[in-house]
Amino acid sequence: MKKHKSGSVWMILPLYIFTIIFVAGPLLYMVALSFAQPKAGHGVEWAFTLANYKKILDPVYMKTFTGSFQLAVTSTIIICLIGYPFGYFMAKLSDQWKKRAMIFLMLPFWVNSLIRLYGWMIILQTKGLLNHVLKSLGLIEKPLRILYSYPAIVIGMTYVLLPFMILSVYSSAEKLDWSLVEAARDLGASPFKAFWTVSFKLTLPGLLSGVILTFIPSMGLFFIADILGGNKIVLVGSLIQEQMTKGNNWPFAAALAVVLMILTTLMIMLYRKVTNAKELEGVG
Amino acid sequence: MKKLVVCALCAAMVIPAMSVSVSADSKELVLYTWENMFPQEVLDGFEEETGIKVVYSNFDTDENMLEKLSMAKGGDYDVVVADDYIIETAIQEGLVEKLDTSKLSGWDNINPLYQGQFYDPNDEYTAPYGAGIPLIVYDPDLVDIDIKGYNDLWDESLEDSIALTANYRVINGITNLALGQDFNDQDTDDIAKTGEKLLELAPNVRLIQDDNTQDSLLNGEASVAFLYTSQVTAALQENPDLKVVYPEEGLGFGVMGMFIPSQAPDKDEAYQFMDYILQPENAAKCFDYIGYYCTNKAADSLLENQDLVVPDSVTEGSAVENISAEAEEAYNKNWTEFKAACD
Repeated sequence: MKKHKSGSVWMILPLYIFTIIFVAGPLLYMVALSFAQPKAGHGVEWAFTLANYKKILDPVYMKTFTGSFQLAVTSTIIICLIGYPFGYFMAKLSDQWKKRAMIFLMLPFWVNSLIRLYGWMIILQTKGLLNHVLKSLGLIEKPLRILYSYPAIVIGMTYVLLPFMILSVYSSAEKLDWSLVEAARDLGASPFKAFWTVSFKLTLPGLLSGVILTFIPSMGLFFIADILGGNKIVLVGSLIQEQMTKGNNWPFAAALAVVLMILTTLMIMLYRKVTNAKELEGVG
Repeated sequence: MKKLVVCALCAAMVIPAMSVSVSADSKELVLYTWENMFPQEVLDGFEEETGIKVVYSNFDTDENMLEKLSMAKGGDYDVVVADDYIIETAIQEGLVEKLDTSKLSGWDNINPLYQGQFYDPNDEYTAPYGAGIPLIVYDPDLVDIDIKGYNDLWDESLEDSIALTANYRVINGITNLALGQDFNDQDTDDIAKTGEKLLELAPNVRLIQDDNTQDSLLNGEASVAFLYTSQVTAALQENPDLKVVYPEEGLGFGVMGMFIPSQAPDKDEAYQFMDYILQPENAAKCFDYIGYYCTNKAADSLLENQDLVVPDSVTEGSAVENISAEAEEAYNKNWTEFKAACD
């Protein structure tokens, strides 16, 4: 650790103050709120209680955590299956095509994701585009009822989060030294073995950071479940939102948010542990 | 220079005094409610008939109204129109005048369905002014059964085809009615039963949504919907073949009430205004304008939009009441459990 010169402290100070006021402040407020009690009707009573945390252990609310977790795992797996090959092969394209692919990837971000999800609604609904196409191709007789179902939510999650996976796999695949793969092939490895022992291992950090980038947000993206799932699946995110607005129970919402935060922090810690170990392996 | 200043000061003192004296001559009435609650035609008609000018003052939320009214200690305003639950508080705080119904010739025109509600159980303080009633609407082409009440929503043939609004108190409330319990039941054992009954409804639910719920009925995603008043009207405008059901178990609704504040400066004028609005032909114009259910029995036949008239067969209804924190919490839990079971 280098010691900073005293002058640089003054340069950083505004940053610290900003962080304390706008990040640590609300965070502490949230933690404090999670130990308070809701007042009948409206507002908060500042009396210490653990009841909010005890309430989370109720099977009804525990189920929202397991449900969110399941959905996050499902979407993350699907995103890996699509995003990894996409990012990997994108890195192999010629420079010009790389640029084009990148533009196509970024283009949807120019439109608000909420509006894009309404687009999905139009595609998926019973009298929508997808059913129309499938019907005119003679593939189905009765329209599929995809909208307002679990698959619709998974489709929405995958759609919204896929670019994050692609970009992070792409950036690590781009740095890959392809001569290593050629060397493996020269030494008699099958294409699959060369991929598995060389390319995959070297792009694993990209895959893992993609997993973090998709898994954690998917625990909290409640509006996808609301719009495409017809509000039928209660995710932790939607539960927090509902307790804040309609339920008038801010302390319980705060307690849920604290638990969610602890869980995601644990996952990030786990990720760092895993990736560090892999990096060591790669170096050795 | 000094003289000029004195002159200006004198003028400044005299001019407002003059304008006050003018308004004291012609009678005035301060009406306090949300924006767009009365058609201009009716307000003009009142002025023509009585010579009283209506000063329309707005609030945006009930809570704002209560705050202003309690700051004025029940004064400043002559007639207020607001939601049921906030009127309960206003009455408790002594801000509402007890009505002398002998001054209101149109008092008997009020539909008794909306009287005797929790906020004014003996009808001493308020006259209802419009009601929002969530109702069942369905597409008879897509539904095989004849839906008569809430209990029919549990029918097996409606699997995955009902759209619900997302108000947890109302949905719990109609389940209470389906079970024969009170709409606002506060007994936690009863509420647990409500929760179990709700879970049985889950397989039939296609979506839960508060905004534009009627769309799902119109685009074929759902064949049955439980909709708010404005959504019922919107759905019928788009597709008049839809059927509206006034559930036989009774209605759950929200009522808006008209009252005179306890220290209203112009009480006589306030009574005159209230009575004017209670006259059937004026009431009909008002309800056609605001698009809420008609709370004036005598006005029912005069409404242009007959969808805003509750049929005679309906005699039971209760408003969403303020309940204990414990009961509220239990209903909340039912709701979360129900939603999770819907998929």
